Amino acid sequence: MPDKRNTLVNTALLGLLVLATIISLATGTVQVSLFDTLRALAGHADPMTDFVINELRLSRVNAGLLSGAALAMAGCLMQTLARNRLATPGIIGIDNAATAFAVASVVGVGLSLAPSAMALAGAAAATAIAFGLAGANGTRGYRFIVAGIGIGAIAGAVTQVMLSRVAIDAANAAYPWTVGSLNARSGQSVLVLGIGLAAGYLVLMSLSRALNTLQFTDAVAIALGTRLKATRIIGLGLSVMLTGLAVSVCGPVGLIALLAPELARALCRPGKVPLTAAALAGASFMLVADLLGRTLFAPLEIPVGIITAIVGSPYLLWILLRPSPRSLT
Amino acid sequence: MLNALSPTSVVASRAFFPPLLAAGFLLLLVVLASLLYGAGPVSASDAMAALMANGTEEAWFVVTELRLPRTIIALITGLALGLAGALLQSMTRNPLAEPGLLGVSAGSGFAVALAILLGATTATLTTLSAQLGALAGCALVIAATRVQGLGNDPVRLVLAGATMTGLLLALTSMLMLMDQRAADEIRFWITGSVAGKPLSMLWATLPSITLALVLIAIVARPLAAMALGEKAAVGLGHHPGRIRFLITFTVALLVGSATALAGPLIFVGLVVPFIARAFSGPDIRKTLWLCVPVGPAVVLGADVLSRLIAAPAEMPLGVVTALIGAPVLLAIVRAGRMPSL
Amino acid sequence: MTCRTHALKQTLLRSIAALTLSTMGVGASLADSRSVETAYGPVTVNGQPERVVTLYEGALDTTLAVDANPVGAVITRGGSDVADYIKSRAGDIAIVGAPAETNIEAVISVRPDLILAAPRTNEQQYQLLSRIAPVIVSDVPMFQPDSWERETRLFAKALGKEEAAERVIAKVESRIGEVAALVAARIPEAQRDATLVRWMPQGPLVMAEGLFSASILQAVGFRIDDNDLVKEGRPHSEPLSLENLSSMDQSWVFLATLNEDGDKALEAARQSPAFARLDAVEHDRVITVSGQLWTSATGPLAVLAILDDIEAAVTAIQP
Repeated sequence: MPDKRNTLVNTALLGLLVLATIISLATGTVQVSLFDTLRALAGHADPMTDFVINELRLSRVNAGLLSGAALAMAGCLMQTLARNRLATPGIIGIDNAATAFAVASVVGVGLSLAPSAMALAGAAAATAIAFGLAGANGTRGYRFIVAGIGIGAIAGAVTQVMLSRVAIDAANAAYPWTVGSLNARSGQSVLVLGIGLAAGYLVLMSLSRALNTLQFTDAVAIALGTRLKATRIIGLGLSVMLTGLAVSVCGPVGLIALLAPELARALCRPGKVPLTAAALAGASFMLVADLLGRTLFAPLEIPVGIITAIVGSPYLLWILLRPSPRSLT
Repeated sequence: MLNALSPTSVVASRAFFPPLLAAGFLLLLVVLASLLYGAGPVSASDAMAALMANGTEEAWFVVTELRLPRTIIALITGLALGLAGALLQSMTRNPLAEPGLLGVSAGSGFAVALAILLGATTATLTTLSAQLGALAGCALVIAATRVQGLGNDPVRLVLAGATMTGLLLALTSMLMLMDQRAADEIRFWITGSVAGKPLSMLWATLPSITLALVLIAIVARPLAAMALGEKAAVGLGHHPGRIRFLITFTVALLVGSATALAGPLIFVGLVVPFIARAFSGPDIRKTLWLCVPVGPAVVLGADVLSRLIAAPAEMPLGVVTALIGAPVLLAIVRAGRMPSL
Repeated sequence: MTCRTHALKQTLLRSIAALTLSTMGVGASLADSRSVETAYGPVTVNGQPERVVTLYEGALDTTLAVDANPVGAVITRGGSDVADYIKSRAGDIAIVGAPAETNIEAVISVRPDLILAAPRTNEQQYQLLSRIAPVIVSDVPMFQPDSWERETRLFAKALGKEEAAERVIAKVESRIGEVAALVAARIPEAQRDATLVRWMPQGPLVMAEGLFSASILQAVGFRIDDNDLVKEGRPHSEPLSLENLSSMDQSWVFLATLNEDGDKALEAARQSPAFARLDAVEHDRVITVSGQLWTSATGPLAVLAILDDIEAAVTAIQP
């Protein structure tokens, strides 16, 4: 049965995620065996192991999990709304804009809101502009994407300007924002992201039927009883919110929003928007990429954003360059 | 502009020389501004006096040794990028085909970073690696346009370029992380800027630029014929495959030289042909002619801005061109002329 | 600090002691405890710490200067190890991260009993580090002429080495006197104006007159003026436009570089015509110095090393 397939996929992805989590928790400069890691998680370890596992590593893994899931869900949602699997927030410039705003907050330019709030504002502003420029076509069609690329370029340039205009220490403080790293997350941002992700997930689950119908033509969707405009606005709003909150935790980590939904779609039953599977896959991707970044050149650390770019870009190129099996727009 | 099939009828109704003269005049003004204005204490009137050969020694030095070289470098860079953009767009029939957007500049920058990491120090070696990088980038772009369905999908090509750029930037960051000692030097070469670049760089690139100009003179007519459609071009006795190869090579020479001189400057190759086409119509030969004054004027104008907005320091030129170019990209999208050229 | 975290720290210390299986004397030193004023309030340190982690160039310098035992340090800015001037004294020290990015697990794995952190350590980092060992974050204002001296006393108090610190500071002061006398004897009053820059291919960064090494230059008799190019509270200016090089034209130019050896940096700078025509360049009064030492370091050993550089430069000039 089709639904069994989705349940199976989700269970398998969940298992993968648990595995990635445990390996992440057990890996680091301080040697902790797998057994001791599990004991520490259960609360039966000496204070030092407990500190390393439950405070240091768990908070990082937590940040990675939540931001990966949020980026993947935001990507999946945006792809569905734009009916274009390339239309992920990273590609259409929302990440860059969120970063520009967050960097503005870190280096103390303009409004003195917290980086999280500023990232959210940046994401919203970029989407609004891209939407406005795309005109009557809305999120569907190439204009939205190309407008996003332009906005992303402007935001990137503005970020560079700000970084070059401030003292080296402020620039250093803002650097993690520009590459995408899990090292500089703040506890508060992670908490806000967690709440946002939970709330967003609940709303999306209640909307799942309407979202599924968005994959058909408008006429079919309306015939099936979907309130197109409302669904689109809510979906777009949630996608922007999730992206902004994730960027406020991990910076602009690219391509997770593209790869995770791709994987989810390949595995799940066609015809449904695989939000849960995408979120699980995104969280796993983020953890594995961060694990690679931490261990490849230890003790030096490679920001997770660089890893996802190097791993994910060739795949994206392959999607783009192979003779088109089906239309993209 | 949409009507690629009948260029002559459109062109006939357009005056070509007035805009060319106007652009030339504008270029002269920008050159003058570039010599007169800077981030330093030498004011425009001091510089003017120096140009009239009765200024202070300090002003004479600043004008001739600092502002003049960067002016020349900016002129050549603008010329190369403008022509490269026009050629690439005409050949791929994609108004968004710009060396910066398609990842050619990033490929060139990555090659320079790699060369510096491996110990290249001379201007010649840096130029050569920049050109090899650009050639690889161009070859990829052309290969991509040959893929079924992709050639007439401008957006997908641009997305592929953006992806390529992202990948190359990530790899460049990796190189810089791995060798802190080389990082400062790499940063100097891959930040878009024409300030403080040695003139030896210019001598190293001049042969390639000259060769590229000769090649353009050769391919301009066949390229214009190809705008009528490949069958028409073949009918007129041209070989589209050979022409495509020559153009790819020319674009790589131009972009590689420009990147070696000024680092990756995004959007210049988009803005310049966009402006030129607005006056020349679809005839590639006229567009190319107009690019000759417009390209240098755009880059040099951006450079003058970069000196003035952040004085006494300077803004990276690449940032200024991105800020100028992105709105043009949006304008192209707004205009709805996307599907074909 | 609340009772609970204190108790937890004690447990942690004990467990660390148990893990090392070495005689660390935690119990014995409990009698001798003192309170140190830090940026995050008073911190209690017991006994004489024996395993010190320094997360800041100046802290490593001080720790070595007073003969305490640093077991972990961060790399110096722009390098991949501790600064060269200090490397032989630091010996085979564990690297626990970069100045802006501490690897907390690496700190744990060297089992410190005291952590000396950078002045800008943020609250979150501080809280985590405090769980491992007492953390001293300097509350001394930066970019003052006596910043290094006050910081040395602060760290020395935490290390239980106050007498050694006073001896080192006295030694530094007598060296300053010696070098100042040399400068006074060899350089005419009118030619003692100097500028301290870091050379970048795009243009120079002018260092603030309140920067550590600039204040040492002033202490031995040079006049340093950053011409207000450096904004308040910042260590250096943005890269100057080459057109503005004349504003750094003083009799002496101290040229620091992080990357290459001094000669290569000078060679690179000479490529620029604007640099080549500076007075100091024409009169051969450009002194190339290590950026690791002159622009990233602080602490008594760094003062002594900088004084050696100045002495060598001044001795070398033709009368």
